[in-house]
Amino acid sequence: MPDIHVEHLSKSFSGTKVLDDISFTVKDKEFVTLLGPSGCGKTTTLMCIAGFQTPDEGLIACGDDTFVDRGARVDLAAERRNLGIVFQSFAIWPHMTVAQNVAFPLRVRKMSKRAITARVDEVLALVELGQQAGRYPHQLSGGQQQRVALGRAIAYSPAVLLLDEPFSNLDAKLRERARDWLKGLQHTLGLTTVFVTHDQDEALSMSDRILVMNAGRILREGSPEEVYRQPQARFVAEFLGQCNFLTGAVTAGPDGEAVLKTAEFGDGIAVPEHHAGPTGTIAVRPEDIEISQPDAPGSGPAGTVLDASYLGDHYQYRIAVGTVQLSVRSQRPLAQGPVRVRIPPGAATFVE
Amino acid sequence: MTSMIERPPEVTAPAAAEPRARWLPASAGQALVWFAVVALVVGPFFPLVYSSLRSKPIYLPGGTFTLAAYRTLFADPLFWRAVRNTVSFAVGTTVLAVACGTALAVLCGRTNMPGRKMYGRLLIAPILIPPLGLIVGWLAIYGQGGYLTQAVSRNLHLPVWNLSSIPGMSLLGAVITIPIVYLTVQAALAGTDSSPEDAARSAGAGPWRVITRVTLPMLRPAILNCTLLIFALCLEILGIPLFLGTPSNIDFYASYLYRSWSSGATPDPSFVSAGAVLLLMVVSGLLIIRARLSGSEQRFIASSALGGGTYRPLNLGRWRWPSCIALGTFIGVTSVIPLLGLVLMSCVKVLTTLEVPWHLFTAENWHLVATDPTLRRSIIDSLIIAGGGGAATVLLVAVATLIAHRSGFPLRRTLAPALIYPRAVPGVILGIGFFWTYLMFTPGALVRNNLWGELIALCVRNLTLAYVVIYPSLARINAELDRTARSSGAGWWTVARRILLPILRPALLAAFVLMFITLLGDYDPVVFLQKPGTEVLGVTMLQTWQRGIVGPVAALAVVQVAIVAIVLLLGARVLRRLRRA
Repeated sequence: MPDIHVEHLSKSFSGTKVLDDISFTVKDKEFVTLLGPSGCGKTTTLMCIAGFQTPDEGLIACGDDTFVDRGARVDLAAERRNLGIVFQSFAIWPHMTVAQNVAFPLRVRKMSKRAITARVDEVLALVELGQQAGRYPHQLSGGQQQRVALGRAIAYSPAVLLLDEPFSNLDAKLRERARDWLKGLQHTLGLTTVFVTHDQDEALSMSDRILVMNAGRILREGSPEEVYRQPQARFVAEFLGQCNFLTGAVTAGPDGEAVLKTAEFGDGIAVPEHHAGPTGTIAVRPEDIEISQPDAPGSGPAGTVLDASYLGDHYQYRIAVGTVQLSVRSQRPLAQGPVRVRIPPGAATFVE
Repeated sequence: MTSMIERPPEVTAPAAAEPRARWLPASAGQALVWFAVVALVVGPFFPLVYSSLRSKPIYLPGGTFTLAAYRTLFADPLFWRAVRNTVSFAVGTTVLAVACGTALAVLCGRTNMPGRKMYGRLLIAPILIPPLGLIVGWLAIYGQGGYLTQAVSRNLHLPVWNLSSIPGMSLLGAVITIPIVYLTVQAALAGTDSSPEDAARSAGAGPWRVITRVTLPMLRPAILNCTLLIFALCLEILGIPLFLGTPSNIDFYASYLYRSWSSGATPDPSFVSAGAVLLLMVVSGLLIIRARLSGSEQRFIASSALGGGTYRPLNLGRWRWPSCIALGTFIGVTSVIPLLGLVLMSCVKVLTTLEVPWHLFTAENWHLVATDPTLRRSIIDSLIIAGGGGAATVLLVAVATLIAHRSGFPLRRTLAPALIYPRAVPGVILGIGFFWTYLMFTPGALVRNNLWGELIALCVRNLTLAYVVIYPSLARINAELDRTARSSGAGWWTVARRILLPILRPALLAAFVLMFITLLGDYDPVVFLQKPGTEVLGVTMLQTWQRGIVGPVAALAVVQVAIVAIVLLLGARVLRRLRRA
């Protein structure tokens, strides 16, 4: 399967910029996620790739095929792009059976009847719907409908698979199973996939690479781990899970690492990154903060547990340290009252 | 299990082929449909305006541009009398219809009157009864020589009403237009919940005070909207003055145009075109105001529809049964008795109270309908127009609706107004427009003086109804359905043919039934087009009635009502089956 190149994509709706110079590449067999809050431009980007919206500027190419090139006035019709797409609503045609839905793209391509039957059987077996071939969409469960939509999208071996929030119409339990199943299928078939979601768990668990978007721009691009551990931008850190932010003076440590000092953390927090400038802001995940007994020596500044909530597999605490409040996640039960709080070296990262 | 499908299996080789290349871009076909719709809708107005500005009819050589036609029109005292009559009729009808329609909608929609659900359904029935059938039925019962009129004057020697006066005609006009008010107001009531009314009741207001102080003010936008609509409809009404006004020599605007046209010294006088152009401007102006108002009204409903739905009915107390009986009597007097009168009239030699009806029984009227070539042809022609024209129109409108709302065709935004406009234009005006169009342009000659010309005029006039039914259904179909099909490799026309039109099947059928019923009963666009040999039901009934032959007209009206009833029953049945599938 070919790579997708998106270069300098811009689009405005009645004066509002929804895409602001977006560029990225999706490599062969890669699973790339566009992640962001609603209105960030992720769906618009996907619709530009699919051919349902035309960017004001920019270029989209898939291998040797140019989909859109505003400079060269190229805009290939959606039906000529050879893409598979799964929408949030699944968009299964209600007047056709499961088999007819899957066969439609093959019939449009004028395949022989026998080839169509063989391919439909194969695809339905793949999406585990062989028994439901003759059923109509309203007779199917949500999960089955989603698999019909997916089977239909991959029936003619499209160049690229586009997924527009395909899990948001499923209930929570089913969503997790569908996620694993889809990831397995994508991996087995080696489908180049662009996935749009606002759900961080989906993005982290499925993607090879995540592009975090906000207000029409890509803020961070990287593997799930990179994006989570080194969000670089404050928005990214907040959007992907919870985060504490501390701002203070930055000095150079003895081993070349940066040390951030605040009024509360007078001993400094070691951040193993290079940082220019006299001040900076760090992000610390709640689960990375260590808590110990108030009498434990050398374990950071003293704090007070303000409140606790029990969430099954962990506790969530709000701890006041001087004038700041930290959100901390821990397995240990703690009573309200004094504690010591420590941010270990490497737990924090600088953000802008 | 997934391992057996290592990509790509052999069968995928042909699947990788490009989607079928098209020899014509989709937009060429879209342009063709666009052009057909716009030409049919807008086309007739150019010859109409042109002919009103010429000194001689178009078919005569020579002639110059002049305003003489307008001067002739304004100099005619009969024209001004017709204008005065029309305005008094329109005011009377509108006031009556809006007052009664609103009262009925509130009674059936907001109170605990017994039988309100059944009455709600019966009240909109006059929309489905062919209008001429109702008019003839009213004449048979309440007209000068009508059955009840005779009973009151000759047998009881009481003073009697005059249906052929302007108040009398307004009464019938109101009966015909009440369903429009009822439907509009009822929709507004259904779209708003009763919490403001409940709040007023908690504050201690009785039912009467709640209705006058809360419910009615809430309905003001809807009432204003249908007031304008009915006033505009009254200006163009033709059947009532022709049937009812003739005995007392009262002409309305449309009947004045019709009479001047058919009995003028010069054939096809251009001052009739001038009159049509004037009426067109007035009605269009009224409807533009209404569109502005109803736009803001829809915003009002949409915002409150979120809480809509449930309501607690107002208790009428001891007025429950009296109001129920009054409403039943109203329906009986306005619809049921006239329809029975129609059937009676079609079976007797003469309708009189001096003799019991079964002594006057005759099959002569029905025999005439079955044997007279003109009467028979008019039934068959009307069925051809209603069936064939209806089906063709629904298809054209369906494709045009898809282009208007689901395509990238550059001129798509002009299609929706073009689809709505014809119904806003008075039928007689469209008829005159088509008359000149067929005369002026060479392709028009192909349909001049034959059934095709009448079919086109009737279908164009009513295509709005098909649009009004199809568009809301299309709007409910998620656009992701067509986008997925496009991504699968289907072009626009394939998506229309294989995805959207099949999903729209129930709406298409409903649109066809509505078109069929309307085409069967409509006549104003063709009164200027009908020639011997190309009769349709409505015009034949009109002309036969004017010759003083009433029995066969009643029989034709019964045939019309019967066909409508059968089509409605069949349509409802098929629709139910389609919806279940």
